Amino acid sequence: MEELLKVLGEIRPDVDFAGETALIDDQILDSFDMIAIVSAFDEHYGVTVKPADLVPENFNSAEAMLAMINRLKK
Amino acid sequence: MSRTIIDYLEKQKDNSCTAYIDGDTEVSFKDILGKAKVIASNLSAYLKPGEPAAILSGRHTGTIAGYLGIVYAGCYYAPIDGEMPVSRISKILSLLNPSVLITDAEFRKTAEECGYSGKLLSLEELSEGTADEEVIRARTAHYDGSDPLYVLFTSGSSGVPKGVLTGQESVMNYIDAVCEVLDVKEDDVLGNQAPLDYIAAIRDIYIPFLTGCKTVILPKKEFAMPSLLFRTLIRNGVTILCWSAAGLETLARLKAFDCKPEDLPVQLKTILFSGSVMPGKVLRQYQEHLPRTRFINQYGPTEATASCTYYEVDHVVAEDEVLPIGVPYRNYTIFLRREDGSEAEPGETAEICVGGPGVTIGYYKDPERTALSYIADPRDPGKRLYRTGDYGRYREDGLLEFHGRMDRQVKHFGHRIELDEIEGAAGRIDGVEGCYAYYDREKEVLCLAYAGTALKSDIAKAFRKDFPAFMVPRKVTQLEEIPKLPNGKTDMSKLREILKGQ
Repeated sequence: MEELLKVLGEIRPDVDFAGETALIDDQILDSFDMIAIVSAFDEHYGVTVKPADLVPENFNSAEAMLAMINRLKK
Repeated sequence: MSRTIIDYLEKQKDNSCTAYIDGDTEVSFKDILGKAKVIASNLSAYLKPGEPAAILSGRHTGTIAGYLGIVYAGCYYAPIDGEMPVSRISKILSLLNPSVLITDAEFRKTAEECGYSGKLLSLEELSEGTADEEVIRARTAHYDGSDPLYVLFTSGSSGVPKGVLTGQESVMNYIDAVCEVLDVKEDDVLGNQAPLDYIAAIRDIYIPFLTGCKTVILPKKEFAMPSLLFRTLIRNGVTILCWSAAGLETLARLKAFDCKPEDLPVQLKTILFSGSVMPGKVLRQYQEHLPRTRFINQYGPTEATASCTYYEVDHVVAEDEVLPIGVPYRNYTIFLRREDGSEAEPGETAEICVGGPGVTIGYYKDPERTALSYIADPRDPGKRLYRTGDYGRYREDGLLEFHGRMDRQVKHFGHRIELDEIEGAAGRIDGVEGCYAYYDREKEVLCLAYAGTALKSDIAKAFRKDFPAFMVPRKVTQLEEIPKLPNGKTDMSKLREILKGQ
């Protein structure tokens, strides 16, 4: 989790990723951030986020993102 | 007697068909005009005809009713998207100095934080009550097509936003012309992408009034989640998109087309794009997945009322192809101006200047800048030309090409950014000794190199506080020092070398 928070913090240092639970629904992350996040996940974790994975449930919190990364790694 | 915006709107006053859809809310022409007239009647107590009214609000149909309400009150609107940082809103309000600021419930708190000392009015409260047709008639009777409709604020190199004051006739002229090219029919459905305070939104707001079609306001969060967006486009039967090229590009970069064929919005008849150069490799993906859709490239600045030229793409483009910007819309003229003010020959590169009724009134309370950019047309000195600051050239087949900027303005995801403004802002951050802003066109990233003790996260946080997201440098590099030439200017070639080695 720490590594993920670091990756996300590089992209949006102003967002409390450990605390937020509605990153997409509250429009905290926008489409530019998503492009950066998707490419960072590819770079750091070697996972390809497919359009079908791009849904609010997978990106509303750091925890949800981590769960998705672990799913995609398998 | 010239046509006014009231004539334009009133054509639909008895139409009970849907004009705008926003989530689960649908509003008819009749209802939105009715609401606008209630707002106008209530506003008349606070505003004198002919003054500006600022409106700070969100992405919903109430905002459009607010704009039109200001217009029916005999005034012109200054739209401000509620998502903008407070400090930028403050700058706009201090430049505009309006007697009223209208705000919706969602952004009430923002409005209270921006240090505005005039009258703060609630959009919801203004929408309550009854319309007084007599008052509205009296307040709009003076209207003439040359009266302002709105003032839109864009980035300015000094760090102070520029207000582009635009007349009613300019907007009606553009909407007529673009509808002709788009071939909009009553049963068409537009999908709105642009924030409602942005120039591109004038199409989504006013095209329904001319044609009787409707506009769906697409939810902002879906732009980060393309599969949801495609579903919304299909569910609403959206047939026309007038988007920023950057918006289309973002979807492609999020691999939107990597889906089942039945999930593609193949009902789209026309996609018009503008704001920045559309990369061939992006357009080609759209053409391959939406083979029956027409694609139109459009060019033009806010100062010429959205756009002045267009090019309908008539072939599947190559990955590295750069589209021409085409030919002028009806009632627009192009003048390619050499530095000495004379007209360039075909094949010669010169500054693109725009003529015709689309040329806006000028910069709000800035006669000096207006005089520099809005000049007499050498072909007809009674008429005006707007100097875009862009280079253009005519091809042999008569189509116009875009050849970049004359100054340090860049286009990033369809938004104008003055690199001088970015440097000015970075220079004001504690611990920044020197800085240089640049744009990586390849990766489409706004970059900042700086020297000093500030942390990279200090820079990002400071920008987040004062600027919209698109103006925040996404790549920040800390250097020992910014290399200088003997004349004190940044040594570009040395800097490029250093950055390459980073």
